[in-house]
Amino acid sequence: MLRAEELHKSFGKLAATDDVTVEFGRSEAEHVFIVGPNGAGKTTLVNLLTGLLSPDAGRIVLDEEDITNHSPEERVHAGLVRSFQVVRLFESMTVRENVRLAVLSREGKTGSALSLVDEHEAVERDVDDLLDQFRLAEHADQVASELPHGDRKLLDVAMSFALEPEYLLLDEPTSGVSTRETEHVIETIVEVSEREGVTTVTIEHDMDIVTGYADRIIALHQGSVHGEGPPSLIETDDELRQLLLGVDE
Amino acid sequence: MRPDDELRSWPGLVERDGESHLRVTRGLVLSRRQAGFALVVLAATFAIPDITTLAPSLQLTVLHQGLLFGLAAIGLNLLLRHTKLVSFGHAAFFGTGAYTAAVLATHYDVQSMTVLLVAALVAAGLMAAVIGYLSLRHTGLYFSLLTLAFGQLLYALVQGQSFFGSSDGLPVRPGPANRPLVFGLALEPEVYSVVMFYVTIVVLVASLVVMWRLVNSPFGAALDAIGEDRQRARFIGIPVRRYVWAAFVVSGLYGGVAGALYGMVRQHVRPEPTLHFLSSGDILFMAILGGYETLVGPLVGGTVLVFLQDVGRDVTAYFDLLTGVVLLLIVFGFPSGIVGSLQHGGRLRVAGRQLRADPTVVGDWLAAAGRAILTGVGVWLRNLGSVVGVR
Repeated sequence: MLRAEELHKSFGKLAATDDVTVEFGRSEAEHVFIVGPNGAGKTTLVNLLTGLLSPDAGRIVLDEEDITNHSPEERVHAGLVRSFQVVRLFESMTVRENVRLAVLSREGKTGSALSLVDEHEAVERDVDDLLDQFRLAEHADQVASELPHGDRKLLDVAMSFALEPEYLLLDEPTSGVSTRETEHVIETIVEVSEREGVTTVTIEHDMDIVTGYADRIIALHQGSVHGEGPPSLIETDDELRQLLLGVDE
Repeated sequence: MRPDDELRSWPGLVERDGESHLRVTRGLVLSRRQAGFALVVLAATFAIPDITTLAPSLQLTVLHQGLLFGLAAIGLNLLLRHTKLVSFGHAAFFGTGAYTAAVLATHYDVQSMTVLLVAALVAAGLMAAVIGYLSLRHTGLYFSLLTLAFGQLLYALVQGQSFFGSSDGLPVRPGPANRPLVFGLALEPEVYSVVMFYVTIVVLVASLVVMWRLVNSPFGAALDAIGEDRQRARFIGIPVRRYVWAAFVVSGLYGGVAGALYGMVRQHVRPEPTLHFLSSGDILFMAILGGYETLVGPLVGGTVLVFLQDVGRDVTAYFDLLTGVVLLLIVFGFPSGIVGSLQHGGRLRVAGRQLRADPTVVGDWLAAAGRAILTGVGVWLRNLGSVVGVR
């Protein structure tokens, strides 16, 4: 279980995260979606959970261990992995090299300065598997910056899964992806995370996706939890619907 | 089975695609042409002491110094090329190596070249660990400024201490032979300088192979990732700070061994050429001049720059101008440096292709040339001004 307890984070006078207590992974491979209007503090919450920001108060607990003061890389090795809203790849490296780096990191091999980067056979097998799973095999030797956008997103996700997370936090995984490819990206994420037993925490604006895939939603408003429950909450909670539709586009 | 597993000896010949290849180290396999080229270069390098006796305009010590600064630049390039950090203070490690040799030779009469080298490595490694730890709290401009500041701090400290011989520096002349012992041997002056040159070549080749292995290892890939996107690297679990620190120390070790050899070759160490920030700038410039996107570029850059500076001193009073002009040429004409440009198949061919594709590119070239000339004239005027005392 990944738990945030009474988290606070302010930027100047603005309380971006205000007394937030939430938990993820109540069941195996739970899909939790975080919704809320712009400025509700969704990304700040993800940044706090993953260690990009440190909270002013409160704690973060991962599988009964307090990780509030752990560095991002320690959290990654503890099974807490994130992706960014804008796809961030190692642009001058090939698709294979990007995925390989993530696998090497998971295996704790990036510190090896005496071996060759491509001679770890178990790693190479894993890389091939991942490339197949995310249908990137044909692009394996292409430089990341030359990939079409949909594949860039998939590569980003493939690198996240290469780290074998227990919890995967996705900040708008479909942003910038064409409507046609949106479904493919989400389907792939859901499919792989269910097979691997990964709990996902996803920030999403597209309510069709939320109602289609969420086990549970958490609605944020002005830094606080407005409500949480099944995705049908969006239909039944009038105030929430107002918030999501009224302020958001 | 990996192709180069067919033969496990080192070094060795391997068959690949029906042709024999030379295997230098695991993974580094040269084709016939490449191996031939490498052998010719190596042979030519070993023949340099002979060549310099035939051609008086070439001086062994100058070339030797060029190679040593180049070695330091190879180390600096680990940071520049892979982690994308610009260090303006690498003379600190060159100087630490040189002064470690000098202090041990002068104050403690340590005679063995090997001991001096190892001690210099240790000292430079420690120095890099400390300076790196403090400088790497920042990236970008502030990192560069911190390395510059620490380098100058060291320079000022050494220059002000009589223990280090102040601005006169210290000799590196231990023992009755007045020179370090090379593998226990007291050599005659002429023999000593030639043998030290060969020692340098051996150290250079070993350093290049080690660097090749390092940048082609998982650690090297992690450094590349850090250079591209530091934050993303952290979020795939790479301990960025620790790795960059390690790279900084390695890069300092290269400076240290180069500096120690420099001290032993010159047999005297002064603060200006070893510790001053202008030397740091030179080392950085060498990497760019030779081509910082390549492994051997910094070495070529070091040799060429030191040679040019030496020749320039004889030819013109404005020898600083020469460095300026070369720098301009590189930035405007050959941004990938000497080795980089050679690898890209020649600037002229590229220019020819550009011209055929779009003739208006001539306008850009003229503009660049105009800017280069104006800047050159500016530098020249400033030099002229300082010579005739005009402010």
